[in-house]
Amino acid sequence: MADIEMKDDKSKDKKEEVKEEPKPEPLTPAAEIKQNAAQIARAVSTLEPRFTHRVLRSLTALRKKVDEAAIKSAVEGVYTKDSEAKKTLLSWLPATSPGSLEESMEVDSSAKNASEPVPEVEVYLRLLIIYQLLSSKDTYAGALDLAHQTVEKMQAWNRRSMDAIAAKVWFAVMRAYELGGDLADARPLFLAAQRTASLRHDDEAQASLINCLLRSYIAYNLYSQADKLVSKTTFPASASNAQFARYHYYLGRIRAVQLNYTDAHTHLQQAVRRAPPARTAPGFYQTVNKYLVVVELLMGDIPDRGLFRQEVLEKALGAYFDIVKAVRTGSLAQFQTTLQKHKDQFEADKTYSLIVRLRQNVIKTGIRRLSLSYSRISLRDICVKLNLDSEEDAEYIVGKAIRDGVIEGKIVHEKGWMECMTQKNNYGPEVSELFGRRIAFCLNLHNQSVKAMRYPLNAHRKELAAAEGAREREKELAKGIQDGEIDDEDLGGDF
Amino acid sequence: MVRQQSSAAGVLALLQEPDILFKQHALKALNPLVPQFWAEISEHIGEIEALYESNDFPKPARDAAALLASKVYYYLGEYEEALSFALGAGTAFQNEGRTPGSEEYVETIVSNAIDRYIQARKTEKGDGSKIDPRLQGIIEGIFERCIAEGEFKQAIGIALESHRLDIISKLYAHTNDVSLLSYAMEGVLDTGFSLSYRDQVLRFLFPLFPLPAVGDASPHVHAVTRILVALSDPDLTLPFLSSLISTQPLLAYQIAFDLVEGGSQDYLENLRTSLPEGDDDTKPIYDKLRQILTGKESVKLYLEFLKRNNQTDLLILKSTKEALEGRSSLNHTALTLQNAFMHAGTTADIFLRENLEWLGLASNWAKFSATAGLGVIHKGFFEQGQTILGPYLPQAAGESNVPGANYSEGGALYALGLINAGCGSDVTSYLREALRSAQGEVVQHGAALGLGIAGMGSKSIEAFEDLKNVLFTDSAVAGEAAGFAMGLVMLGTAATEPVREMLQYAHETQHEKIIRGLALGTAFIYYSRQEEADETVKQLLAEKDPILRYGGVYTLALAYAGTANNDAVRKLLHIAVSDVSDDVRRAAVTALAFLLFKNPSQVPRVVQLLSESYNPHVRCGATLALGIACAGTGLQDAIEILEPMTKDSVDFVRQGAFIALGMILVEQSEAASPSFASTRAKYAKVIADKHEDAVARFGAAIGAGFIDAGGRNVTISLQSRAGSPNTSAIVGMVLFCQFWYWYPLAHAAALSFSPTGIIGLNEDLKAPQFDFVSNAKPSTFAYPSATKPPKKEAATKVATAVLSTTAKVKAREKKKAAAEGETMDLDKSDEADVEMKVEDSKDGDVTPIHSLSDENRPSSSKKKLEPTSEIKPNFSRITPAQLQYVSFPSDGRYQPVRTVTSIPSAKAGSRTSANVAKTLGLGTDRFGGGGGILILTDSRPDEEAEFIELETPEIAPPPPEVTPAGAAGGATGPHIALDESAPDAAPPEPFEVSCIFLCGEKGWC
Repeated sequence: MADIEMKDDKSKDKKEEVKEEPKPEPLTPAAEIKQNAAQIARAVSTLEPRFTHRVLRSLTALRKKVDEAAIKSAVEGVYTKDSEAKKTLLSWLPATSPGSLEESMEVDSSAKNASEPVPEVEVYLRLLIIYQLLSSKDTYAGALDLAHQTVEKMQAWNRRSMDAIAAKVWFAVMRAYELGGDLADARPLFLAAQRTASLRHDDEAQASLINCLLRSYIAYNLYSQADKLVSKTTFPASASNAQFARYHYYLGRIRAVQLNYTDAHTHLQQAVRRAPPARTAPGFYQTVNKYLVVVELLMGDIPDRGLFRQEVLEKALGAYFDIVKAVRTGSLAQFQTTLQKHKDQFEADKTYSLIVRLRQNVIKTGIRRLSLSYSRISLRDICVKLNLDSEEDAEYIVGKAIRDGVIEGKIVHEKGWMECMTQKNNYGPEVSELFGRRIAFCLNLHNQSVKAMRYPLNAHRKELAAAEGAREREKELAKGIQDGEIDDEDLGGDF
Repeated sequence: MVRQQSSAAGVLALLQEPDILFKQHALKALNPLVPQFWAEISEHIGEIEALYESNDFPKPARDAAALLASKVYYYLGEYEEALSFALGAGTAFQNEGRTPGSEEYVETIVSNAIDRYIQARKTEKGDGSKIDPRLQGIIEGIFERCIAEGEFKQAIGIALESHRLDIISKLYAHTNDVSLLSYAMEGVLDTGFSLSYRDQVLRFLFPLFPLPAVGDASPHVHAVTRILVALSDPDLTLPFLSSLISTQPLLAYQIAFDLVEGGSQDYLENLRTSLPEGDDDTKPIYDKLRQILTGKESVKLYLEFLKRNNQTDLLILKSTKEALEGRSSLNHTALTLQNAFMHAGTTADIFLRENLEWLGLASNWAKFSATAGLGVIHKGFFEQGQTILGPYLPQAAGESNVPGANYSEGGALYALGLINAGCGSDVTSYLREALRSAQGEVVQHGAALGLGIAGMGSKSIEAFEDLKNVLFTDSAVAGEAAGFAMGLVMLGTAATEPVREMLQYAHETQHEKIIRGLALGTAFIYYSRQEEADETVKQLLAEKDPILRYGGVYTLALAYAGTANNDAVRKLLHIAVSDVSDDVRRAAVTALAFLLFKNPSQVPRVVQLLSESYNPHVRCGATLALGIACAGTGLQDAIEILEPMTKDSVDFVRQGAFIALGMILVEQSEAASPSFASTRAKYAKVIADKHEDAVARFGAAIGAGFIDAGGRNVTISLQSRAGSPNTSAIVGMVLFCQFWYWYPLAHAAALSFSPTGIIGLNEDLKAPQFDFVSNAKPSTFAYPSATKPPKKEAATKVATAVLSTTAKVKAREKKKAAAEGETMDLDKSDEADVEMKVEDSKDGDVTPIHSLSDENRPSSSKKKLEPTSEIKPNFSRITPAQLQYVSFPSDGRYQPVRTVTSIPSAKAGSRTSANVAKTLGLGTDRFGGGGGILILTDSRPDEEAEFIELETPEIAPPPPEVTPAGAAGGATGPHIALDESAPDAAPPEPFEVSCIFLCGEKGWC
């Protein structure tokens, strides 16, 4: 019963969203900003952070649509009275083009609520302006200035209802620094802010800041610093999925550099799972998958072929597909040529250093293929098949592979051959363990989705009205009976 | 710009150097690096700690090491460790406070220091020696800083929490600001401190207060009174009163009145008996004090106030009576209760007299209720109580032969208890006698209830023993009442032996009623004993029997009544959603009100979700919780939750919502509360609607009773004027909540009615004529306008409704007969209307005081020209929200000896200025009242004073002007009310048997 109801709710929600989706089309960006401002005000007044989240979800889409004029008219619309805040906001926008008629009319329409908007709205508008400034190279410095001011204001206000927007602002601050090319300078600021956020239990800002810091460390290849930061802080469990995805991605990169491929793989996989759908955020999806492919190769696995057929990934992962093919065949020569061919791309992706490590894996893959086909093979033959220089090399490489658990077998040094053990039974305790883990994961996912589910507010009010209506009808009926319009007999019982 | 270091590894390496100089340098260099590289440095925390502990290091370097370690721990989020090292850092830490950029660090460490200090002080119990002197140093520093910066309230907060009373006295010596002491007192009373500590603080604070003086100069009179009431210690009060007597007898009277308002019976009794006789000069003063302390003086004055200002709209009752068919005992009880509440304390029994025929319809327990209703109506009329009830009280000659008389006898005994509530020392012996001699369980029931209510908190062992004997007869009806009464007698004693006996018997007996009585009795015994009740609560909540768990819930609520104790609230909320028994869950939700009534604005938020529960019992509990906690406040949030609940699909939820709305909207006006008029209309509609469920109509009737309670001159409040919990009101409300099981208990709600008026007395305790000003628009606090007599159409409709239930659709002839009856009914109602009008005008003529009601009418008719203030005479109704607007003209002859409201002095100062711009809800939120009985100083004692004639109690029958012209001829002499009805009631009703269940046990209706 409950399930059905939930489904209903969901579909209703979806309908609502669907309804809202086409609405923005006729809506001008300025009107949308104003609408968002109203939503934020509502979130603050009702203490319901989800309205703010709704606004922030549309931020990326909105960012692409707005221009200065739109923001300007929105500011005019939100701030009906002249105030300090309005003046500062407008000062960041270039001087007005002659105000169009339509804008002034909109101002009139919203002039009803004459009260000063909540600070959250101001910060939101500032955030939009920062992104606007970041959209062109000339105004990076201005964006940075504004970002600094905004951060100061935020810290001074210290409002918990601002947390969600603050987290976004921090990200914008980081972008401003990054685009300005001096991300390292931002580190003390972030560290201080991260401390403050953790003192104030401001989870969202904390999550955002930790990610900013990690990004800054990794950008400068400070992996050990990043690792120490990760080990000394706890990432807030209540952080949003997007932040978690980022966090896992950075962790995956750190672990990969540290040769801890299993962990790296887990984290990257988490990052993929947590990330927004491939179409909405293709960039992140592609980047994570690049690393995922490399790490999988480093672990000695061959990624799924289907991965490369995905529409979003097909093009971006072309170079990696070639590498995978080389590793799969176990041919060193092919691997080398592919590496040379795509070197520039790998360096741009910052995966080059990892891919270089793959050479060993190419050999290991070869050995594995051999171990599957032969129960016993001489080291000499291994040399030939894998293009190795000497039998000694082959012996070492096989020894490492056995120690790493890539293959099961042993080297018989005296006779110069490798003996392979029979394949493990696939139904050992590990399998059930793995199975158990997957079940736990699924259950956890289910629980989280149940918890995240929201019931429409005040739904019972409608029921109340319905109940009232039913009782009214009953009364009518009773009255009818008494007035003799309906006979007792019709109802088949003494009333 | 120099590129920053990307790692602290270089400096950290210096720590490994063997040379001390290098290490020192490393420490110095690391200190500013911590914010950036704490993660890296934390890997070396072990070394840094070792440096701090090593002996061959100079002191400053060790301090630096400690500071460094502390900071690193701070960044790691290990605040405890960080604090320990910060303490070790000594001067280095103190200097850190001045470094820019580390404010947050210092702040965090200091707040942790305060926490640890408080914890340490709590566990050590005042033995300061074991506390780390360094910690002590930091705390002293904080206190000093607070004093230097003028943040006295902060210092008081910390001092209270850390049990540092010496700081409070130091602060007071420093500032001489009495409001700080009041602040400390409020802090300790209103937040969750343990009882023993609370007493300790209060005892400490009390001598610090300077002796109050007459007039506005000493606003702390309220605080002093509150302390006296909270401590209830005659040894403390006596010297205080005596010291006042010689210099300021007026103030002594005032305080005595205030004590009566809030003090428990045995405290007042002790105080009274231990007052010295005094010498020639002071003897009359002491006598007067004694007179006041009996409580009778206050009761009498309030009675007079209610009698004078009675604004009951009889038309409402009349329409209820017409709508609710009297033969159903549920309906009968509903009307009885509505009438009782509307006339509570006014002594106006006109409605009963006019409707003797209706009264005669009562049978069995409905008769019990009806008789008990007399007690509510005459509540406080203790002088004549026994006379009025005379004809119904059990005769000494033995059992009455009239069948059904035992119900009126029992009801009369219960009524006697209600009349004497709060000043019952005189009648307890009579009630005990009645209890002992009573044969039937009905009479025993009434006597036990009466004894419990009249002897509330008297701790009388004899009464307890008598009740126990009744209990041991193992009669369900009598035993239940005995259980309640035992608890009431031992109210708030936490006496272990009685509790043990009661619970043991509760386990033995088979009767659910008795178990319930005993369980609630236990709850009463632990009233406001806070942690002392914990063990019993735990035991009760773990019981298998839901009734005992039900008692456990109430025990918890009463033990922590008014404290808003978080643990208790959490426990109740948990029970509210987890218990298997609906009754327990409902009780748990309702009980929240008793915990939270001091912050009514909180309650809607707390119960909002519960009010949307799928479980109707939880919803019902939520309605009552809102009603009780927000009673008299008119709180809009609460109303918004309740209004949709009046349309709930379950009848008893609607019932609860109606009752709660009545409680909340009592003494509101149409101008102040937008839903006031609509709620009234809703009551009228529901009551008149015969297709509505009987239970919901019952609720609407009670709600209508509450909204106009006490002749529209009382409010419902669980707090006394001084801000302390009002014991009898809380008990009354708990008993009222039991109406679910036993309708007669609903009468106990009258105990929580507190008259809201300003009654000024001079030094002879006489009421002079004088005026004061209410600086608010008259309509904001006006009485609601009287209902218009129903139009013809409406009357016809009602009449048909009544008739059609009796006559069904079948026969035409019957319809014809019905039509005849209809016309008769109509005539009758017209007659009544005429009578009403006559009375009204009479009222105005006879008593000059009633100019008030006259004033009202014009003001409501021409609203445009409404003045911003109005002048009120002595003995006028002033609602709690209105109090803050009241001022005494400075050139007036009479001035009150203390400020009118208990709202702190700062506000009181601005209040006197005529242009008060304060929002309405402000005062109502925190305090139940203020005002009340005021002693006045006479600035022109030589002039002749005019006094208001108090109705001399010798004229026994209720006010003569209410005697209707057409009322039964024989209605003379002291006891009228039910006289004629008694014989009427004699013939047994045809449906008597089924009725027993109908009227009492809800489950059967």
